Amino acid sequence: MLHGSQGCATYIRRYLISHFREPVDIASSNFSEETTIFGGNRNFNTGIDNIIRQYHPAVIAIASTCLSETIGEDVQRLINEYKTIHAGEKDLPAMIYASTPSYSGTHYDGFHEAVCAAVKSLAYAGDKTGKHINLFGNFISPEDIRHLKEITGDFGIDTVLFPDYSQTLDSVSWDAYRRIPEGGTSIAGLKRSASAMLSVELGYILNSGGRNGAVGENNQSESAGEYLQKQFDVPCRKTGLPVGVNETDRFFDLLSSVSGKAVPEKYREQRGRLIDLYIDGHKYVSCKRAVIYGEEDLVVALAAFAAETGIRPVLCASGGESGKLKDTLRNVLGDLYPPDIIVGQGMSFERMESLMTELKPDLMIGNSKGYYIARKMDIPLVRTGFPIHDRIGAAHARILGYEGAILLFEQIVNTILEDKQRKSPVGYKYM
Amino acid sequence: MKKIAFYGKGGIGKSTTQQNTAAAMAHFHGQQVFIHGCDPKADSTRMILGGMNQKTIMDTLRDEGAEMVTADKVISKGFGNIRCCESGGPEPGVGCAGRGVITAIDLMETHGAYTEDLNYVFYDVLGDVVCGGFAMPIRDGKAQEVYIICSGEMMAVYAANNICKGLVKYARQSGVRLGGLVCNSRKVDKEWEFIEEFAAAIGTQMIHFVPRDNIVQKAEFNKKTVIEYDAESNQAKEYSELARKIIENQMFVIPQPLSMDQLEAMVVKYGIAD
Repeated sequence: MLHGSQGCATYIRRYLISHFREPVDIASSNFSEETTIFGGNRNFNTGIDNIIRQYHPAVIAIASTCLSETIGEDVQRLINEYKTIHAGEKDLPAMIYASTPSYSGTHYDGFHEAVCAAVKSLAYAGDKTGKHINLFGNFISPEDIRHLKEITGDFGIDTVLFPDYSQTLDSVSWDAYRRIPEGGTSIAGLKRSASAMLSVELGYILNSGGRNGAVGENNQSESAGEYLQKQFDVPCRKTGLPVGVNETDRFFDLLSSVSGKAVPEKYREQRGRLIDLYIDGHKYVSCKRAVIYGEEDLVVALAAFAAETGIRPVLCASGGESGKLKDTLRNVLGDLYPPDIIVGQGMSFERMESLMTELKPDLMIGNSKGYYIARKMDIPLVRTGFPIHDRIGAAHARILGYEGAILLFEQIVNTILEDKQRKSPVGYKYM
Repeated sequence: MKKIAFYGKGGIGKSTTQQNTAAAMAHFHGQQVFIHGCDPKADSTRMILGGMNQKTIMDTLRDEGAEMVTADKVISKGFGNIRCCESGGPEPGVGCAGRGVITAIDLMETHGAYTEDLNYVFYDVLGDVVCGGFAMPIRDGKAQEVYIICSGEMMAVYAANNICKGLVKYARQSGVRLGGLVCNSRKVDKEWEFIEEFAAAIGTQMIHFVPRDNIVQKAEFNKKTVIEYDAESNQAKEYSELARKIIENQMFVIPQPLSMDQLEAMVVKYGIAD
């Protein structure tokens, strides 16, 4: 439920639906003029009552909006009051609250706030440390979530993977509408996240810039892994989103050391095929100048991948404001870090466009929001990340692991070839 | 019709002075007055109405809905035929009182509560211009004149200076002007001189010095203004004088608030810092 005006819920529903192409039910506490003046207590309770009556959920996640934050609503207090009023009633759902005013941080920061909020609400210290790990997979496609499950399964690692919307946001077709689709991380799973032997977070930056925007200093936001380390002494390892050979190698090495098992043959083979593909495609991508944009961790992963294939990232842009993008890129890319690269944080598309007018890149890699620039400048756009509003299949896009890199690399090469054919006066059939 | 907003530090006697001035305007000068209380505590009309029995605009909005907020329902008549309404507000600690002020004034205007026969509309606003909502009475088309109630105490002058900063923001656009400072005496040493000098420094006047008199408290205990309690008293005459000066006032300025350094220097000069 979004605690605020209806439009906030409608907006984000529309956004998610057109990307995942699945029904997304989001309730709203429906702030009006009166609610704004008197506070949202009454609407909050009515909203929760209605959700429980209609959905019978095990968990209700609540996020704030600009309006409720601005008038100073204390949602945690509202939750506690609701629980007090309804104490003793059976099937009272767990309630998770994330603070997500849109004037603070980005959507991506809000996503990680919600991940951390879920862990904070549900993680429960067990008697002793288990043999399982937590895997916080970041904001990835349902297909990539399935792939992560396959990989950890092949290593034989007992894994609490969170979040897991691989089924809920990528369902099979139904005969009758289901208010809550099957699937997802279990409450029991999140409970035992506090007794894991290790947390692995995919992404170096996560929500570390969550509240940077206005205040300048960020000391409130933490990631789920950081929280578990601080609160329950669960060690936390951050590694990049495994896109491309180098970052996927790092991820597999980590899983290998956690499980004490060698990387399964299946993945060695995939890795080999990927490298063979890099060689086949090198002549098409070598020295192509690319603009990469999107969420900070995705930009890092895509830049690392692009650089290792021979593509030159000339502009890495993100709306995120962690202040860590440049250093992270430098660390991850190492020798492949292009000395003349422009790294932009807190960047608007308008600024990106004006930079691109100077840079005249060959290629854009990022979400649908950059399409208008690609169209205006007649530059091919490889769609990845979130949101993808003008193509089908965003839920099935795989970019993680060696196989994901194969698919992404083919997509890039074919986009370049398509562009080349389209702009050629001669209809070459061999490229 | 003239619309006037009263501002001033909390606890300075703002509502008391405002109500006594309104009563004096009605009783001694035959004016038709409307008081719109913009303090969530809803205590801006208590002495005119002889108690806090009236339902606030926010109470009506909360209990009965916006369409039920009619002029008849939320306006009460009190001493001197003064019409009164109170904005009210959310419960302490929740919601947004500033938004409440905006909504209340909008509702009153929508329902034509400020009728043509009125000579004066008084907005009595809480303490300070803390946010956009509490600046509502001095925004476009609302109050043309502002009077700041203060005393010779440092914090009161500091608040007055701060209110002037808020006023400057709106003055050019809405045409609102400062009509002067009302010194509600706390019997502090050299109070008169201090406020006169401060008023001159920010480009305005001390329009009246209201002396301290226990009759004000006595009347207040009886839920009455001094004018109703004892119209022959000296203090009633003081309020009559203040009302006359406001009616006849010609000095309307955009104030020039002081910097913190200037203000502190003035405070030190009058020895109130010790």
